[in-house]
Amino acid sequence: MSVHMIVCIKSVVREAPQGVGRRTPENSELNPYDRPALEAALRLKDQTGGRITALSMGPPVGIEALAEARAMGVDQAVLVSDAALAGSDTLATARVLGAAIRQLAPFDLVMFGIRTSDSDTGQVGPQTATVIGLPFLGGVKAIEPETDRWKMKRQMDDWEETWQVTLPAAVTIHPRAFLPRPIPLVGIAQAHDRIDVQTWRLTDIGLKTDDVGLAGSPTRVAKLEKIKHQRTCRMLAGEPREQVEALIAELTTMGKIPS
Amino acid sequence: MSEPFITAKHRVLRRSVRAFCIDELGPIAAEIDQEARFPWEVVEKMGPLGYFGIQAPQKLGGAGLDALSYAIIIEEVSRVSAAIGLCLSVHNSVALYPILAFGSPEQHARWVPELASGRRIGAFCLTEPNVGSDASAISATALPVEDYWLVNANKVFVTNGGIADVCLIFARTDPQAGRKGISVIVVERGIKGFVVGDLEDLCGMRANPVSSIRLYDCQVPRENLLGRSGQGLAIGLAALDTGRIGIAAQALGIAQAALDEAVRYANQRQQFGVPLARHQAIQMMIADMATDVDAARMMVYRAALLKDQGAPVSRAAAQAKLFASEAACRVTDLAVQIHGGYGYSKAYAVERYYRDARVTRIYEGTSEVHRMVIAREVLG
Ligand SMILES: Cc1cc2nc3c(=O)[nH]c(=O)nc-3n(C[C@H](O)[C@H](O)[C@H](O)COP(=O)(O)OP(=O)(O)OC[C@H]3O[C@@H](n4cnc5c(N)ncnc54)[C@H](O)[C@@H]3O)c2cc1C
Repeated sequence: MSVHMIVCIKSVVREAPQGVGRRTPENSELNPYDRPALEAALRLKDQTGGRITALSMGPPVGIEALAEARAMGVDQAVLVSDAALAGSDTLATARVLGAAIRQLAPFDLVMFGIRTSDSDTGQVGPQTATVIGLPFLGGVKAIEPETDRWKMKRQMDDWEETWQVTLPAAVTIHPRAFLPRPIPLVGIAQAHDRIDVQTWRLTDIGLKTDDVGLAGSPTRVAKLEKIKHQRTCRMLAGEPREQVEALIAELTTMGKIPS
Repeated sequence: MSEPFITAKHRVLRRSVRAFCIDELGPIAAEIDQEARFPWEVVEKMGPLGYFGIQAPQKLGGAGLDALSYAIIIEEVSRVSAAIGLCLSVHNSVALYPILAFGSPEQHARWVPELASGRRIGAFCLTEPNVGSDASAISATALPVEDYWLVNANKVFVTNGGIADVCLIFARTDPQAGRKGISVIVVERGIKGFVVGDLEDLCGMRANPVSSIRLYDCQVPRENLLGRSGQGLAIGLAALDTGRIGIAAQALGIAQAALDEAVRYANQRQQFGVPLARHQAIQMMIADMATDVDAARMMVYRAALLKDQGAPVSRAAAQAKLFASEAACRVTDLAVQIHGGYGYSKAYAVERYYRDARVTRIYEGTSEVHRMVIAREVLG
């Protein structure tokens, strides 16, 4: 069995004190939620062989995230970057990724992180699957390759579901299910001393400017406001045991812990 | 703040090394210091990741990184556990590096893959009970007898001594020739007459098994001579040039850790109704600490960069080592001060940083010796 896995990754803004800001190499990094997806792909590759492509859409700083994926052990890296892409919402992003994924066919499994740390919609994975008509499973915690349908597990509250999935398919990966491996230093040296990342423009994936960017985006962020949390402090009285009981009672009433 | 010198590779490296160290060394750093225990469980993971062959060529099993990457790695490891930073710095730059720079292809094949993978650990044995700064006064001997070297040596303060497999021994191969009679003989642990002495009960760097190593009538094969006979002091100086970048990076990592802790504490601890960070006296300290750390980093990275460019590095490395080690002592001292009484307690990490920083002004050349080296270069 030789499978082709495509892992969609994003370069995110590490800290954006004012909510938004320009992306620079200094303040960008590989989305932490994409690392488990890369790890899941690497483990599958260890198990079944095959190859892994990392795919990203975004400004050129994305090359660094892709080089890091190469250092982890990804075989091929593609960045879709084009001035026309600025302002793309999640649907437009999904169109771009979908078109690039088609370009990378044949493939067996498309993997995403469950969300990004800088915009947190969790939509791009499922939307991309929809755009290109792939079966989709969210929050996958385990993948077992089979000759026919692959077994995949996910967790729902206190239940674990085991699914059978026909490939090709798309999944998002549960952030704690695949602890990413430390990157070998030699991997970093090799991936960065000769950066091997293909850059594709819009025309390379057969899309028009109207399909993407602000023009192709039915939604847009109209306003961004920092939320101020009201914090109050109440002292519980009594012996430690009484205080603990009062605290548990309070948290239970608030629905913060199960009764 | 954007940083000069740094490329994408160095950023990824820094993040990746930092994450590894926080995960693996973070939880045990205080404990291994207190118990003076060498953490094999982590070191065995570092080996396959390339930490023991940072600049060794890839074809010999190394990571093939540049000197700037090396400095960043030592900095980040030392930020979490300076004692392990010391282990790596000595292994990489004063044990493995001289073998790479002065060894024959046969010697490379014999030692480098084993050292670069961390399967074997290296040590640098120059200091003796009566000889420190004045290296040319050593009394160890390695006399040519039949087809071997007959080695007798009493080496003290050997970093990694308790665990080292491959030791660079500085000894007189020609006792009549003075400075020109000193050579480096590579001695492997386990040969007859090789004795590891007691571990030093150190003030800081306690997780590193610093010990004495004594050689009694050891018969070492002739092919274990590194470089030429009489080249010992030159090899030592070349090794210390790179070594200084490592020690400077180590001091930088300790200073950065102390600054991080001081900032955290100053923002959190309240006195007189406001966080410490609101008191101007504390702000001045933090400003001085941040400036010291920044200046040290620029000097360390510059020295590493010069080395990568193949430019002369002695003075830049000596200045970086001198400045970074003294800055680390100032910064850790202020970090203790900002923590007040808690800073003097083992409940907080700053007391460990304070102890660890101190030795960076002593080993691989004291501050005084560094000032002599720098003055000589400046005065011509
Ligand atoms: C934790 C630790 C690890 C070490 N690891 C190693 C190792 O791996 N390998 C190794 O070979 N050594 C190692 N050393 C030894 C270290 O390099 C020496 O301690 C150092 O070189 C100083 O030598 P010394 O202690 O004999 O001090 P001395 O040379 O006796 O110096 C004492 C004082 O006199 C000053 N002084 C000396 N000469 C002059 C001068 N001409 N002018 C002005 N001042 C002078 C010194 O600066 C110092 O302040 C280690 C030491 C420690 C503490």
